[in-house]
Amino acid sequence: MKSRKLYNRIAVLRKERNVSRRDLAEIIGVNFQTVGYLEREEYNPSLDLAFKISEYFGLPIELIFSAEPLKPLIEEIIELKNKIGGQ
Amino acid sequence: MKQTNSMTRQNRKLWIIVNYLSIILVLGFFYIGKYYDLPTLALIGGAVSLILLIFSFVKVFIKTQLWKLAHTSDKNLDERQLQVILSSLRYSYSAFTIITLAIIYGFAVAGQGPIDVVVAACLLYFAHTLPAAIVGWKEKII
Repeated sequence: MKSRKLYNRIAVLRKERNVSRRDLAEIIGVNFQTVGYLEREEYNPSLDLAFKISEYFGLPIELIFSAEPLKPLIEEIIELKNKIGGQ
Repeated sequence: MKQTNSMTRQNRKLWIIVNYLSIILVLGFFYIGKYYDLPTLALIGGAVSLILLIFSFVKVFIKTQLWKLAHTSDKNLDERQLQVILSSLRYSYSAFTIITLAIIYGFAVAGQGPIDVVVAACLLYFAHTLPAAIVGWKEKII
């Protein structure tokens, strides 16, 4: 079964937090090359690995992974704020 | 499993071809010696092919850690590496079965009886290296 492509913000979040690929790999328990594959969106993580990544960055999983191409994080946060404010 | 690999995929492919060509050469010289009564040529050619086989094996399977990756315990692999290994084992199972059956069939058709010990040794080597070779052939980065 061919799975669809998943988009993610791992590279942006990792750089923003100033963490190396090797360090992130060690924290989430994978090989550092796998972090590269994830960042290039050439590999879709398992649900368990996706949760580990979201727990490490302290963000909801849907802010890191998406089936649609991702907008810049700041735009997403503003949209979320507006949604909450409008309720 | 930690890995370091400086060889490009292009180079890996080239050395995998060299490695398997050298097995064919070893077999070729073995049969030259067996059927054409040219022991010196068979011995020298066989020795050179064997050296090439060992050299290319070390270069493409040991130095790139492909061998380690394909033969390590599942516990030492992450989920992506496990997927890569499982897929390579699936391909190598099919390829090995087809090639082995074709060789046995070829021997039977040619009236040669059971396969020679050198052919069996080459098939053993082929079975052991094929999963690693498929990983090296298919993966961009190991």
